[in-house]
Amino acid sequence: MSTGAKKRILREYAECQNDPLPGVKINFDEQNMTKWEILMDGPDQSVYAGGHYKLEINFPNEYPFKPPVVSFKTKIYHPNVSNDDKGSMCLGLLRPEEWKPPNKVISVLHLIRNLLIEPNPDDAIELSIANDYKTNRAEFDKTAKDWVKRYAK
Amino acid sequence: MSSASQPIPPPNDRRGSRSSRSSSNAGFPEPMNSSDIAASESSGFVVGGPPGSPSPLALRASTSPHRRKSRGARIPPDFHLLDYVNTPDSNLICLICHCPFDRPVRLACEHYFCRICLDHAWDAQPEGCKTCPTCRHKVDADEEPLPVPKILERMLDELLVRCPNSKLGCPWVEQRSNLENHVMLYCEYALVECPASDCRLPVSQKDCHKGCLHYSVSCDNCHTSLLRKDLEDHQRATCQFRFAPCPHCSAELLRLDLNAHINDVCPKATVQCPGSIVGCKYSAERETVAEHETACPMATMAPFFRDQQARIERNEARFEPLVRKVGILEDGLSNITNMLYPANANDSSFPVTNPLDSNNPDAFPPAPLMPTPDFRLPPASFPPAPHNNDQSHSQPPFDSQIHHLLTLHDSLRDELSRVASALSELEGRTSMMIMNENQRVKEEMLHTNAAINGMRVQLHWLMSATLHQRTSASASSSATRAGGSASASGSGRSSASGTPTTGGATMRGPAVGMPPLRRLSDSIRQDTKL
Repeated sequence: MSTGAKKRILREYAECQNDPLPGVKINFDEQNMTKWEILMDGPDQSVYAGGHYKLEINFPNEYPFKPPVVSFKTKIYHPNVSNDDKGSMCLGLLRPEEWKPPNKVISVLHLIRNLLIEPNPDDAIELSIANDYKTNRAEFDKTAKDWVKRYAK
Repeated sequence: MSSASQPIPPPNDRRGSRSSRSSSNAGFPEPMNSSDIAASESSGFVVGGPPGSPSPLALRASTSPHRRKSRGARIPPDFHLLDYVNTPDSNLICLICHCPFDRPVRLACEHYFCRICLDHAWDAQPEGCKTCPTCRHKVDADEEPLPVPKILERMLDELLVRCPNSKLGCPWVEQRSNLENHVMLYCEYALVECPASDCRLPVSQKDCHKGCLHYSVSCDNCHTSLLRKDLEDHQRATCQFRFAPCPHCSAELLRLDLNAHINDVCPKATVQCPGSIVGCKYSAERETVAEHETACPMATMAPFFRDQQARIERNEARFEPLVRKVGILEDGLSNITNMLYPANANDSSFPVTNPLDSNNPDAFPPAPLMPTPDFRLPPASFPPAPHNNDQSHSQPPFDSQIHHLLTLHDSLRDELSRVASALSELEGRTSMMIMNENQRVKEEMLHTNAAINGMRVQLHWLMSATLHQRTSASASSSATRAGGSASASGSGRSSASGTPTTGGATMRGPAVGMPPLRRLSDSIRQDTKL
C-alpha cells in the first residue's frame, strides 16, 4: 500500500474522530491501519437497539480505488448481512462497480447505520430474511430481537 | 584500482575494508576514506577516533565533490506527505488523496484531481475506458487532462508548509512554492549520504562537512557509548553528568541533580504552601512561600494534621487483620456451638447461637471484648405476619431462639383461628345457598304436580267423551235410521245448552261441530289456574 493511501486512511480516521457517529467507536491500530475494528451499538429506533455489534473494515491494497470490505463479526439477523461466519455486507456504494475513490469511510459507516435502522430487502444477500422482513414484519422483529439477546449483548 | 584486485566490501563493513585496503595498497591513502578521519580530528573532543590520519589537504580535495554528489541524491519532497500549518480550505483538497492538490489537473466534467492520483485511479480502471473518478463521466483514452486555472495554482502555492525535516529540527516554515528549493538546496537537516564512500548511513546536511560520524565514541562525562553524530545532542540535552542551568534560578548544576534541586531547593521554583494538605490554596515561589508560612495558620497546623493522618492510617492498617481474625473466631465459635447442640446444626435458618443467649449461660460465659456480631434473625424464616416482624426489630438482636419460636407459634395460632372463622363463614353460606335452591325446587315440583293434575283431568274428559260418542253413535245407528239428520241437530242443540251447567270436567254430549270451541276455552281457563 502506498504512503499516500496510508496517509488518506489516517486522515479519514481523524475525520471520523472529529465527527463521531452516535454509538460508533473505532479501534484503530497504527501498526495495521488497513484493518479497523468498529464497535457499533444498535440504533435506538431500530429492532437492534441494545445490541453491541463488532464490525471489521478491511482496506484493500488498492484503496481508495477499490472499496473497503465490511464484515459483521457479531451475528445479526439482517437481510443485507450474510448469515455465516463471515458476516459480509455488499451493497450500495460498497459494490466494486459502485465504489468511487472520492467516497469516504465515514459515509460507509453512515450507510451501515442507516441499514440497521432500515434494512434494504430489495438488495438482500439473505433472501429468506428479506422475505420475512417484507411479508411477516412481526416475525422478523421478533427473531431480530431474539438474536440481539442471544448474540449481541 | 583497488576494486580490481579484491572484491568490493559490503557498505557498512568499514573496519574490514579499511584494514584490507591498507594492507593491499598502503601507499595510496584513499581520499574518501580519509575525509571522516580528518573531520573528526578537526573537531577536537573525540576520544578514540579512528586511527591513521591523512593530511588536511587530502580532505579538502575530497569533500567538495562529495558534497555535490550527496546533494544530487536528495529526494524531492512529496507534496502528499507535507505538514500544513493551517487546515487547508476544503476546496483545495483532492478527493482521492484528501490532501491539497499536487500539480492539479481538470477533467472535462469540471472535476479536479492531483495528476498522480488521477493516473493511479485510471491504472485501477479496466484498459481503454477511462472515466472521471467522481462522476464516471467518460474520458477519451488519448485525451489529456486540462490545465487548471491559474488562481487555483496560486492559492495552492501560498499554503504555508513545514519543512519535511522538521522532525529532525528544521524550523523552516514557508509557502509551498518555495519548498522544493528549500529541500533540494538549502535545508541543513536534509538527510544525505555519509561523505565516507564506504558508509551508506544517512547524515544531516549540516554535519556533512565533518566527515563520517558513524563510529562509536564514549561520552567524556557519563562514559556511555554512542555514535559520534549523536554526541552533541547527547551532551547538550540528555547527558546526566553535564552541568545544566536550572530553568528557574541562575544556578548551574549537574543534570542528575537538577530535579532534586527544583523539587527541594530552588528558591525560584513554584511550590505550594505546606498547609495545602488541610486546604491552603497558596502557591508561589519558594522564597515567598517561606514568608507566607509564618503567617498561615494552616501551615502551622500542618505537621499536627500530618501526624494525625499517619496515625489514622496506622490504625486502619492494624484494624484490617483484626477484622479478619474476628471473622475466623466467629466461624470457629459457630462450629463449636453446632457440635454442642446438634439440633441446631441441621437447621440452616439458625446457623449461629449467641454466647449471650439466656439458653446457655453457663456453657458460654459472656465474652466482653468481642465486637457483638449481628445475630439478627434471617428475615426469610419469618412468617408473613407484619406485626411480628415489627416486634422482633424493636427487640435487641440477641435472645433469639425462644423468642423466635414463640412468635412463630403465635402467628401460627392466629393463622389457625383465621382459617377456622373463614371455614365457618363458608359453611353458613353454603347451607343458605342449599336452602334457597331447595325452596325453588319445591315450588317447581308443586307447579309440575298441578300441571300433571290438569292433564289427568283433561285426559279423563277426553276418554269419557270418546266413550260417550261411541255409545251414542251405536245407538243412533240402531234406533233412528230414517231421520238421522234431525236427531243429530237435536242432540247438538242439547249439548250446547248443557255446557254452562256442567262446567269443565263433567261434560257430556259432545257434538261434532261445537266441542272444539268449548274445549279451547276450558284449556285456557285451566292454564290461568296453573
